[in-house]
Amino acid sequence: MLTVEKLKNYGANVEEALQRCINNETLYLTLVNRFIDQNTFPGLKEAINNHDLEGAFHLAHSLKGVIGNLSLTPLYDVIYEMTELLRSRTEMDYQDLIDKYEKSYNELLALR
Amino acid sequence: MINKNKRKLLIVEDEFINREILKNILLDDYEICEAEDGESALEILKSNKNNFSLILLDLFLPKLSGLELLNIIEGDGKLNNIPVIVLTSDKELEVQCLSYGASDFISKPYPDSRIIKARINRVIELFEDRQTIKSTERDALTRLYTRSYFYKYVADADKNNPNQEMDAIAIGIRSFHVIKERFGAQFSDSLLVRFSKRLKAVMPNISGMVCRLEVDTFIVYAKHIENYEEFHQEISADIFVDIDNKTPITVQMGIYQNVDKNIDIDVRFERAERALDKIRNNVIKNISIFDDKLKEKEMYEEELIEEFSTAIKEHQFVVFYQPKFNIKGDKPFLASAEALVRWKHPTKGLISPGIFIPLFEEKGLIQRLDLYVWNEAALQMKKWQEKYHKHVPVSVNVSRIDLYDPNLVKTLLDIVKQNNLETKDLYLEITESACTENVDIIIDKVNALREAGFMIEIDDFGTGYSSLSMINKIPLDALKIDMIFIRNAFRSQNDNQLIKIIIDIASYLKVPTIAEGVENKEQVEVLKELGCDLVQGYYFSKPVPEDEFARFLTQE
Repeated sequence: MLTVEKLKNYGANVEEALQRCINNETLYLTLVNRFIDQNTFPGLKEAINNHDLEGAFHLAHSLKGVIGNLSLTPLYDVIYEMTELLRSRTEMDYQDLIDKYEKSYNELLALR
Repeated sequence: MINKNKRKLLIVEDEFINREILKNILLDDYEICEAEDGESALEILKSNKNNFSLILLDLFLPKLSGLELLNIIEGDGKLNNIPVIVLTSDKELEVQCLSYGASDFISKPYPDSRIIKARINRVIELFEDRQTIKSTERDALTRLYTRSYFYKYVADADKNNPNQEMDAIAIGIRSFHVIKERFGAQFSDSLLVRFSKRLKAVMPNISGMVCRLEVDTFIVYAKHIENYEEFHQEISADIFVDIDNKTPITVQMGIYQNVDKNIDIDVRFERAERALDKIRNNVIKNISIFDDKLKEKEMYEEELIEEFSTAIKEHQFVVFYQPKFNIKGDKPFLASAEALVRWKHPTKGLISPGIFIPLFEEKGLIQRLDLYVWNEAALQMKKWQEKYHKHVPVSVNVSRIDLYDPNLVKTLLDIVKQNNLETKDLYLEITESACTENVDIIIDKVNALREAGFMIEIDDFGTGYSSLSMINKIPLDALKIDMIFIRNAFRSQNDNQLIKIIIDIASYLKVPTIAEGVENKEQVEVLKELGCDLVQGYYFSKPVPEDEFARFLTQE
């Protein structure tokens, strides 16, 4: 089961996230679970693979907003970098970043 | 004033998680509405126009983007009084949003919940204050709210208390213009000030607010109550219309109860005013409720307005003719006719001009109807001339607004020419009341019409409150005595002094008189004796369709 403690150890900025949730731990954990379930990253990956950088940017941007609000720092760092690269439509190999994101995501998934 | 419910916020954000975080922060203080995309946000906004105190808007939205939505909101006169806070993680867009009309932004990831709350609060406060300051002008005389300011408060009251039943009230002082004439402007102003103070003082009793609409008309928006007797007492007691404090004022009220909050604010007060107008000249009734009958009348009139163009196109307006007989000699003979319009409505039946003419005058359609009647009447004259070889001049109505039309003379000349008529065949009836304003312009226009050869008849003479010196200035060819003088003269013991005066005026002006509404032989005899020249009325004939009128042409 997901706990605040586990998220803290994972590297999430739990304190900040809880301020946003007015210290409602249940809400916070519910929303993180929801985030894990609705995983929209495969869509982003597909857009990158199809060289649809604009579509990819929008997806990354939205994802960044959610991850930021949940203060999932390890994921945030990666998605932030991706979003900025995609914003300038940088043509490059995103595989390293994708791997990094998926690794962090799987770690998060493993907390449950 | 009115106790405050929670203000309503609209959150427009496609990410469920972000929405949940915001909702959790704001739920205690606000009523929250949510939209997942721009299009549904717009739909919600349009169906609840004045309901939201603030919009929280995410910029990256499916369907309609946040910036597009912001653009629409700021361009909509009814939506742009709702402040927008943009939710964004893009520094560049923040500035752009502000220039698009957003009031503030909240960055993503969201800051501490307390900051979000504080920012939202501040924007709402600033906005409500600014709206207020923008139209702070109070009425200079009474210091009551002016209309726009008042309407804003009405909207706020509805927003903060959507379920409260409210009444819209229009209040007037009976015969205020007479008071002003008698005691002068200074006194009548002080009366208005005293009355305003009273109104303001009693507002807390009915949880209402008050505004001065115009001259002596005030409007009030208050919590619904069933019985207005007490309120009526309160606002009129011990306010006197004369300097000696002898005559108390009479206050009249029109009330639209339990207003429908889906209709525009000004329409609500128009309804109250309609109810008030219904009793304005009534000396017994002081309180009038807007009821279903008035509402029906309103709807009926709206339908007539909508159907006007079709009616013109389909020739639903039918022109009837009423003969005018010359009674100077031994035997009366046909002198001319008056064209009178009827509306043969396909579903509503025959509609009286008493209903649609004042309505069309008010709504600016009368010019088109007048033109239609002129054409019809001219065409009819042409037909009569061809068929019966008779010249029967026809008089048509020229409304006040026609007289301001720079093309009037040309329009009429064209009609005459098209139908091979002469200008002297077409008589123009101008009501006396049309001549009371902008006299110089009217005189110039009437002169131009007469120079072109048209005959001018002054209609409804004696009812328009014009002064004799003014009538002296208006060039004219005949005076029509309003039927009200005929009726009154023969109702009571042959009091025909007024008719005599009008005939005297006409003879001084060296023009003939035409008596309207003449119903029997006795009236004809008396009028003849008094020196009246022409007579029109049921005694000879009611207004009839053209084919029936033909019998007057073949009779002699």
